[in-house]
Amino acid sequence: MPKPEKLIVKIENVHKAYGKEKVLRGISMDINESEVVVLVGPSGTGKSTLLRCINQLTVPDSGKVWVDGVELTNPKTDKDKARQHIGMVFQDFNLFNHLTTLDNIMLGLVHVLGMKKEEAYDKAMLELERVGLANKYGSYPGQLSGGQKQRVAIARSLAMEPIVMLFDEPTSALDPELIGEVLTVMKDLAEGGMTMICVTHEIGFAREVCSRIVFMEHGEIVEQGLPVKMLNNPDMQRTKDFLGKISVLD
Amino acid sequence: MSFIEYMLIALPKIWVGLQITFKISSICLLIGMVIGFPVALARVYGPKWLRWLVSAYVEIFRGTPVLVQLFLIYYGLPQFGITFSAFSSAYLAIGLNSGAYQSEYFRGAIQAIASGQMMAARSIGMTRLQAIRHIIIPQAFRFAIPSWSNEAVSMVKISSIVYLIAIPEMMYVAKMLISKYYNPMPTYILVGLVYLLVIGVLTLLLNEIERRTTIPGLETARRGS
Amino acid sequence: MEVLTVLVPYILRGLSITLEVTAVALGLGLFFGSILAILRVYGGDLLSRVLTLFVTLLRALPHILLLLIIYFIIARVVNLSAFWAGSLSLAIISSAYQSEIIRGAIQSVPGGQMMAARSIGMNRIKAIWHVIIPQAFRYAIPPWSNEAAIVIKDSSLVYVLGVPEILRQAQYYSARTYQPLTAYVTVAAIYFLLTFITNRGLDLLERHIRIPT
Repeated sequence: MPKPEKLIVKIENVHKAYGKEKVLRGISMDINESEVVVLVGPSGTGKSTLLRCINQLTVPDSGKVWVDGVELTNPKTDKDKARQHIGMVFQDFNLFNHLTTLDNIMLGLVHVLGMKKEEAYDKAMLELERVGLANKYGSYPGQLSGGQKQRVAIARSLAMEPIVMLFDEPTSALDPELIGEVLTVMKDLAEGGMTMICVTHEIGFAREVCSRIVFMEHGEIVEQGLPVKMLNNPDMQRTKDFLGKISVLD
Repeated sequence: MSFIEYMLIALPKIWVGLQITFKISSICLLIGMVIGFPVALARVYGPKWLRWLVSAYVEIFRGTPVLVQLFLIYYGLPQFGITFSAFSSAYLAIGLNSGAYQSEYFRGAIQAIASGQMMAARSIGMTRLQAIRHIIIPQAFRFAIPSWSNEAVSMVKISSIVYLIAIPEMMYVAKMLISKYYNPMPTYILVGLVYLLVIGVLTLLLNEIERRTTIPGLETARRGS
Repeated sequence: MEVLTVLVPYILRGLSITLEVTAVALGLGLFFGSILAILRVYGGDLLSRVLTLFVTLLRALPHILLLLIIYFIIARVVNLSAFWAGSLSLAIISSAYQSEIIRGAIQSVPGGQMMAARSIGMNRIKAIWHVIIPQAFRYAIPPWSNEAAIVIKDSSLVYVLGVPEILRQAQYYSARTYQPLTAYVTVAAIYFLLTFITNRGLDLLERHIRIPT
């Protein structure tokens, strides 16, 4: 089913250093609508930093980032407004601990998008249903399992109607038996046409769901391509070594 | 005169003093909170010059005795023609002192909130101020309750020093009773018992507040002082 | 210039007394506090309850009231100078707080340490002395530093007993020169320096003897 290709995220020569340590060394990447990109690579290679540079939670030292045609790296851009429609899911969930699951989702709708409470309530319930947790609307984060927390976090992002979703190792903090429920939600999202950029070590998810695997090392993109090619016979030896290692674990 | 007889004479007078003890400690606690909370926010989120300024305030007031602060304001400032009444001096000295301590409790509470909370709030498009108002402050208040309870109890205890500038709270009443009847021990014991009762009831009350404001599932994350 | 020549002698006289009161109160407070703490942790159930009640009482009452009560009791029993009676009173008050600090520190040493010490044949006392105390001591330094600063500041309370410490000297000076602000600001600055130096010093000590991880 070919779609007219629409550029959603454009990253151009992004650099970021923490002190002397260069975390990103000139990353460039284009991501089209409905693409699901999986970022892989050894830990400490800047994958999470790159995600945070996309929504400007981390400000790059140089380079440019556009999301939906708006240049976020332009100082004149209202970054808060831009972030409203860039969903982000964190490794450690970061649900607001003092709010129920429903209020976690409603908060952004009411205070950021300015929705009426009743409207926000309906929307939030709908999103909870979508991740299969409508019955937990009154629970506090501390009363949920890790997998449930992460599904609520996804619902919180989805409620804002994002044009792209960023996943930062969404299953790394979960017990093995809880990973599946989160991946299922992500898979449904991908099939629904959501544009997604995921940092994850779940090779199974990459193989089945994603449209492109990007392998990063030492702050650079080493190689990228279709999952079939990247997983079976990549061009670079470094890619082969790394993906070979984690595929065995899968 | 038996102890019981003496009690009947002394208790009504102590009651009058107790009301002033309450007045001083509650007003100072309130002043301390009004100062302490913004100071804590300034110390965590403020620009560098402001952080430096409020740190100086906190360190100076925590590093010197409250009695010296009281005397400095009440006896010292008139040298420059600035004169406060005894009550105003008490509110000012103890309130500023408590503000310094309370700011530290609030700061601890703010810093006990995981940094991911701020990031998550920003990621859904909240401004820094919105995140502080809706995410950080509600949690910080709850985290601060245990140490804030200690401060409330401290205020009742610390307010006793104002008898030295002749404010007629409980200790002052004790001093008057002793000079009139010359029986220090029964007087001190009586006043001590009243303090114990007041502080005991206050502690129970604060524990109840703490219990009711606990966030379900987050019990273990609460920080004491 | 006259301010200096007149004020300095007053301040120095008061400062030495303030330091003496603090040293006695902190030192004896540490001694009593340690005994209280060890008895509360390792003494029997009944003893530990009685001592806990004692500590709770001391911690619940205003220091100035306790100072007057203890001073009064001491004055009845033995004939002590205001300086010694005041210092001793502050030591007893501080012992309650210090015992809490030491008890907390002892209890933060994992239970397995005692078991391991006993398993290699140490008796209880030896285990406490060689294994528990050296570890507990390190945990105790930061809160103890806090308590030391409190005792320095509390030493100003013996003013009410007429002990000529630094606050009382400031009062003498202002009565003579009508310059109360000069006197009290100087005194505040000295207290600030004392607490600052104490906290920094103990902070350095804590870092110096920290167990490498």
